[in-house]
Amino acid sequence: MSDDSEIAAKLSAALNAEVRDLARLTGGATRPTWAFEAELDGGWQKLILQLSVERDPLPGERTGALPRVTGANDAAIQQAAAKAGVPVPPLVLVLGEQHGRGAGTVAHFVAGETLGRRIVRDPPPDLAAACGTALARIHAIDPAPLGFLQPFDAARQLAVYRDVFDSYAHPHPVAEYAFRWVGEHLPADDRRAVVHGDFRNGNMIVDRNGIAAVLDWEIAQLGDPMQDLGWLCVRTWRFGGAGPVGGFGTYDELFAAYEAESGRSVNVERVRFWEAFGCLKWAVMCMMKGQRVRFGAEQTLEAAAIGRRMDEPLWDFLSLVERRAASVPPHVD
Amino acid sequence: MTEARPAAPDLLAEVATLLRERVLPTLDGELRFQVLVACTVLAQVQRELTLGPEQQAAERARLVELLGHEGELDDLNRELAKKIREGAALDEARLLAHLRATADAALAINNPKWMADR
Repeated sequence: MSDDSEIAAKLSAALNAEVRDLARLTGGATRPTWAFEAELDGGWQKLILQLSVERDPLPGERTGALPRVTGANDAAIQQAAAKAGVPVPPLVLVLGEQHGRGAGTVAHFVAGETLGRRIVRDPPPDLAAACGTALARIHAIDPAPLGFLQPFDAARQLAVYRDVFDSYAHPHPVAEYAFRWVGEHLPADDRRAVVHGDFRNGNMIVDRNGIAAVLDWEIAQLGDPMQDLGWLCVRTWRFGGAGPVGGFGTYDELFAAYEAESGRSVNVERVRFWEAFGCLKWAVMCMMKGQRVRFGAEQTLEAAAIGRRMDEPLWDFLSLVERRAASVPPHVD
Repeated sequence: MTEARPAAPDLLAEVATLLRERVLPTLDGELRFQVLVACTVLAQVQRELTLGPEQQAAERARLVELLGHEGELDDLNRELAKKIREGAALDEARLLAHLRATADAALAINNPKWMADR
């Protein structure tokens, strides 16, 4: 039995419905995703299956401290987001580990574009403002019923990424400087909110009206809400587009919408800190990809090519720090 | 200097031309994307073969200047990384100039457009 027909059979049993046209989409090695149709409520519905696969670490590799929200918890955070007015794909079913192949979710298909490169070529009007509104709503979610969310402040993140970086034992003065800078500029952990953690162009479904769905809640956490704003502005996620926000908008548009929706002011210094730290985190993630190829744990050319991209965010990091040094007087820094 | 055999960068260039001009037009979807990635990787290796030796010599010279003694490139990099990590006293302006030159050199191989697009 092929992999796909086995999955189709399991889906059919879990949904108690006929299943057809199962086709693998992207999603990488840890987030495999399929589109399919199932006969539900008397008609054929377009659905999406997404699984969370635990990957084996490389010898000596340390990755375990990154928070991951899967299965029923993934469903719970998305339901809380929907209640808060954040568009998410309507959930149909949560697949626990008992379905074999790891935890996952089945949701209704949402029409629109997810590819960052295509979105920046022809973005809908006011997309940056829509991001500000969505983020304000996410940060207003009551964390109390979501006890599984882990606090992940800047200091803790720095320690985790430092540990991952060190496990490869690769001397890299530019990265080392970035680690030192982040350590010297850590913001106080004074306001904790529900943070998406990976809110960026490429992780949302966009249509002509704006954001049709916010995806990839897997690293949702409790932390500094400014983190989400900074990550959205990391240059990698602009996909060559013109605006600093996701390649489609301005800081002012994002901040104004966020402030209008949340009633709280944006701490611009913090957003810039998280944008700079985001560059370093992405560089370490690129390194993780590349090292997996080097050790034969991942065989795709694409992963190897991502491994070669670590110099891009580090170059951006230096640009951010240089610009900051030129414009910010030392006594305010 | 002339070579009896075609040079490695020229071979890679020929493969890239074949992929771009003959193979890519026949593909779409996922496989087209993968072949585009292959073309990018070939160009990186080609630039590394061409620019790498000179870049490494320049990087080593900068490190010798910055650290004040001779050494192999790897050892010098290890020493500088350790100094930065431990917060050792370094001339910040000279350090940043070295890091900028190093980051530029890496992108000159891996993605020169990244510097132009800014």
